[in-house]
Amino acid sequence: MAAVGETILEVRDLNKAFYGVAANDRVNFDLRAGEVHGLLGENGAGKSTLCSVLAGLYRPDSGEVRLDGQPVSLRSPHEAAEHGIGMVYQHFRLVPSLTVAENLVLGLKRQGFRLTLRAVQNRVAAIAEEYGLTVHPDSYVWQLSVGEQQRVEILKQLYRGARILILDEPTAVLAPHECEKLYEVVRHMAQQDHSVVLVSHKMEEILGHTDRVTVLRLGRNAGTVNTAETDAASLAAMMIGAEHMPEAGEHALRRFDDAPAVLSVANLEVVGDRGVTAVDGASIEVRRGQIVGVAGVAGNGQRELQEAIAGLRAISGGSIRLGERDITSASPRERSAAGLAYVPEDRLGTGLASGLTLEENLVLKSYREAPHSRWGVLSSRAIASTARDLAEGFDVRGARSQMAVSLMSGGNLQKAILARELTRTHDVLVAASPTRGLDLAATAAVRTHIRAETAHGRGVLLFSEDLAEITELADLIVVMSRGRIVGSYTPETLDIAELGLLMTGAQDQTAGPAESAAESQAGDPAGSPAG
Amino acid sequence: MNDTVLVLSIVSAIVAGTPILFATLGEILTERSGVMNLGVEGMMLIGGVTGFWAGVQTGNLWLALLAGGLAGAVLSGIHALLAISLRVNQIVSGLALVIVGGGLSAFWGNSGDAPLIQSFNGVRVEPLLPEALRDLPAVGPIVFGHDPVVYLSWLIVAAAGYFLYRTTPGLSLRAVGEDPAAADAAGLSVTGIRYLFTLVGGFGAGVGGAYLALVVLGTWQTGLTAGAGWIAVALVILAGWRPWLALLASYVFGALRTLGFTLQIAGVEVPSDFLNMIPFVVTFLVVIVVSANPERARRVGAPASLGEPYSREAR
Amino acid sequence: MSLRIGVEPRARPALPVRLGVPIASLAAAGLVGAVVIVISGANPLDAYQTMLDSSLKGWRPLTRTLVLATPLILTGLAAAVAFRMKVWNIGAEGQLYMGAIAAAGLAVALPSGTPKVLMLLVILVAGAVAGALWAGLAALPKAYFNTNEVITTLMLNFVALYFMNYLIFGSVSFWRDPQATFPQGKIIPEAALLPIISHRLHYGLLIALGAALVLWWSLRGTTWGFELRTIGDSPAASRYAGMSVRGKILSVLALSGALAGLAGAIEVSGVLKTLDPRAIATELGFTGIVVAAVARLNPLGVVPVAVLLGAVVASGTNLQTIGIEAEIVFLLQGLIFLFVASGEFFLSNRLVFSRPASAVGSA
Repeated sequence: MAAVGETILEVRDLNKAFYGVAANDRVNFDLRAGEVHGLLGENGAGKSTLCSVLAGLYRPDSGEVRLDGQPVSLRSPHEAAEHGIGMVYQHFRLVPSLTVAENLVLGLKRQGFRLTLRAVQNRVAAIAEEYGLTVHPDSYVWQLSVGEQQRVEILKQLYRGARILILDEPTAVLAPHECEKLYEVVRHMAQQDHSVVLVSHKMEEILGHTDRVTVLRLGRNAGTVNTAETDAASLAAMMIGAEHMPEAGEHALRRFDDAPAVLSVANLEVVGDRGVTAVDGASIEVRRGQIVGVAGVAGNGQRELQEAIAGLRAISGGSIRLGERDITSASPRERSAAGLAYVPEDRLGTGLASGLTLEENLVLKSYREAPHSRWGVLSSRAIASTARDLAEGFDVRGARSQMAVSLMSGGNLQKAILARELTRTHDVLVAASPTRGLDLAATAAVRTHIRAETAHGRGVLLFSEDLAEITELADLIVVMSRGRIVGSYTPETLDIAELGLLMTGAQDQTAGPAESAAESQAGDPAGSPAG
Repeated sequence: MNDTVLVLSIVSAIVAGTPILFATLGEILTERSGVMNLGVEGMMLIGGVTGFWAGVQTGNLWLALLAGGLAGAVLSGIHALLAISLRVNQIVSGLALVIVGGGLSAFWGNSGDAPLIQSFNGVRVEPLLPEALRDLPAVGPIVFGHDPVVYLSWLIVAAAGYFLYRTTPGLSLRAVGEDPAAADAAGLSVTGIRYLFTLVGGFGAGVGGAYLALVVLGTWQTGLTAGAGWIAVALVILAGWRPWLALLASYVFGALRTLGFTLQIAGVEVPSDFLNMIPFVVTFLVVIVVSANPERARRVGAPASLGEPYSREAR
Repeated sequence: MSLRIGVEPRARPALPVRLGVPIASLAAAGLVGAVVIVISGANPLDAYQTMLDSSLKGWRPLTRTLVLATPLILTGLAAAVAFRMKVWNIGAEGQLYMGAIAAAGLAVALPSGTPKVLMLLVILVAGAVAGALWAGLAALPKAYFNTNEVITTLMLNFVALYFMNYLIFGSVSFWRDPQATFPQGKIIPEAALLPIISHRLHYGLLIALGAALVLWWSLRGTTWGFELRTIGDSPAASRYAGMSVRGKILSVLALSGALAGLAGAIEVSGVLKTLDPRAIATELGFTGIVVAAVARLNPLGVVPVAVLLGAVVASGTNLQTIGIEAEIVFLLQGLIFLFVASGEFFLSNRLVFSRPASAVGSA
């Protein structure tokens, strides 16, 4: 066992690609005994891939993992656990219908035939006391709060003898008071010579609760620094690569003060899948001809906000207006008819029915309308002709083929969705991560289509995790964090460093009611410059 | 008083309920692993004909039950292969077992030079306990008068209950059926456990079929289960996937199968068809009532992953 | 180090593979069947020759096959349409009985002088409606409480079965012939009999074929079918497109039940001429599910598969003449399904053999 401060785990030149796309590109990482090591990066930066390799879930294409100086192979979660590496995922791996104690011993080889939970309970109590993880071993997991379930996950890893604990975005699912408890547990673990990898994209968390930070960007190392010797601004710069950002105001500055609003979201509240508030009083206004970009790290309520606007998710408060019309309680079909076009984040499965042909998917929203159907009878000729026109106009391939769309490339699919949504009569386009995973040509094509929307006097609400995309396209950038709109910029007031801080929750530009962001249409650089 | 209608009908309910109990217990264990095998009727039939054949050949009840169980397990192995490895729809695969099992048992039971029925010399099934106990009023026949297989079934119920809730393999079984992804992450072999308990379920159904042919009816005839396998499928739900309740439910519905006769003796005219309907009507209603309230559904405890194939990649 | 066997999906394979795999599957089923026949002491070649002769060779055997295939086409369609939307109606069995009960009841209730066309129309529609209503008992809880339809439709099968038994064996009901010594149903009047095409082949076959065509077209060519396929494929995409899932559950289960009910009515009107519980409870509903699965839920595919399985059944009695028990045909049916289903898997997936890569391997 390594002494405190000695390197316990080393990762050398790790490569891992999925379908030819490098998720980790010569990544290096080292972890010392008794330290809390932050792993910072945007979504898709390669954090999860690195952690999954360490947890034995993925096998690296090449590279080396050393534990205590010895090369090891981690071929399964089991082997990783045997080496003392435990991972706590965002989606807990607990069986809800079992008790805490049962979950702890599940799959343990050294457990005998008889289930002797009493002995387990004693050990659990001891560990729980040592680390401040209070959970009742007899409770059923489904009865526990999310924070308690997370404690069970940590307890499970400790019970199994983990000395290296990887926490994947542990506070993403927690309420603030539960976060504090978690940090306390993490501190306890470090004191007991355990090493903790804290995966996060929240700046305050990294700055406040780690000893060192490794930043990943686009699958590569962007640097490793001692937390005490850095600050939020330089970490944000490393994380989003601010030096590569296009200068603010590259495109012509336009003003929309007098333009009528085409989409107004006011004080929207939405409850997410896990019963926690996902959108917490967000207000956004999109005006004629304007592109409003919503910047933010994934998981901060963007998805729920989109779905609420599209009518796919129930809301618990607030209102949504499309132009003059209140669509708060309209059905998805009514919203579409009222002029809302929506390009969802999830292309296959939501945006497109994966087993249907491209032709069918191109009329997914207009199949009930003439000439595509009359009296419930589809006209294959009209559908084919529409599909041909759309495919031509948007450069979609394979419109004639009878192939299921699930076998087509991402760029082609996205163009198909755009073709369908943009050619319907609409005033507003809501687009979520429209260029994610696309190649350069397809990305350029998609952006051109989005820009063209404004020329027709339509409004666009663009959600993207790609800051470069937002700064390139948007006339107004709002920042979403923890379900709230925490800041807004026009191209002329844009401060990338500060925006990075807002995104990661290190700062709150408005510090006041969320509505102010939406109302400050001209951009109100209220926040102070980054330290 | 030991030959009063009430005592006799309780005894006959236990006898009639025992084959259903074996099949139900087996299916409970299968479904607890997340695999739904609707082929119980087919597995009982194949177990029945095999067990009967083995009984004719050996004259030994235990060997006959073992043979019946193994035959049921072999048939369920086909379901395991299709449903677990090849991810064929479990409903369709289970129904195919019903057809195969029914066809094969009828084919085998009737073919050959001498059909089974004619060469049967009988398997001796003696009561287990001394006569003094059996002659006690009421409790004698009801509790002490049975053949060893009935007592074995009680033991198995107790063992299954203990296994499910008090042992680590039982815990693993429940975890696999509830949340295969979590079980996989905990290092359990989801596929291995599902295979094992699909086979166990087939074994149970096979033993039930063999007991039905050898002891309850004392004969083989084509399609002799007459829906007993389907009752077992229903009872798994009514018992809430719990072995002890399966015991109770099996005897209650065993009683229903003999109740028509009993009532006739008592001079009450209730059409037997309506009695036969009861398990199915009750299950139909229970399923609806339970599903109308999610909280209730959780307490009843159908394994959460029941009927869904698992593959690690398709998370 | 052990060899790992993995499974990965593959793109639509080439035509020779798509045709070759089912044929190979059928051959494999025949081979296993042959082994069973050999074990039972008969010559498999004789057996298969007899089967071919007695089911497909010549017009008369063919008509027998088609008579048996007719209800299987309809129950196969009933399963196919529901399964297409991932609604697992396994209650075609019971829906068929209810259709038979309704048709037989109306056939004896209506004045025997009723014109044939009217009579047939009434009893066939009544059969379909009865089947639809019976399916509706499961559809309503499914649509409103999301009750698992596998269980409810399965349970209703037996309720219908015992109800039908009650009508003939358990009581002197309206359906039962009071004069007969043994319990049996009233014979339906001449006007209620489906006309004969040839030998015993009745016009029910054309109804079944028509249903297959109409259903095939409806799935492809109507907004109803489009919605059904979309919901079955991607529930999220169908909600996104604004489709009503609840309404579709009701209409699909009703249609599925109607097809099964129609099968029951046609059996009564075209074959049995009375409500005969023993003759009608031959697992036509369950076999229909297997037919649909083998046909990959394609309504047109259901027809040849039903004919194939019908041919297997038709040859049963003739097998007896060469000393093979007729029940072998059910075994063969099951084997056909088992092998085609496995073949299906290898059509859409490929096996990959790999040695576990060591995590410390270098590039």
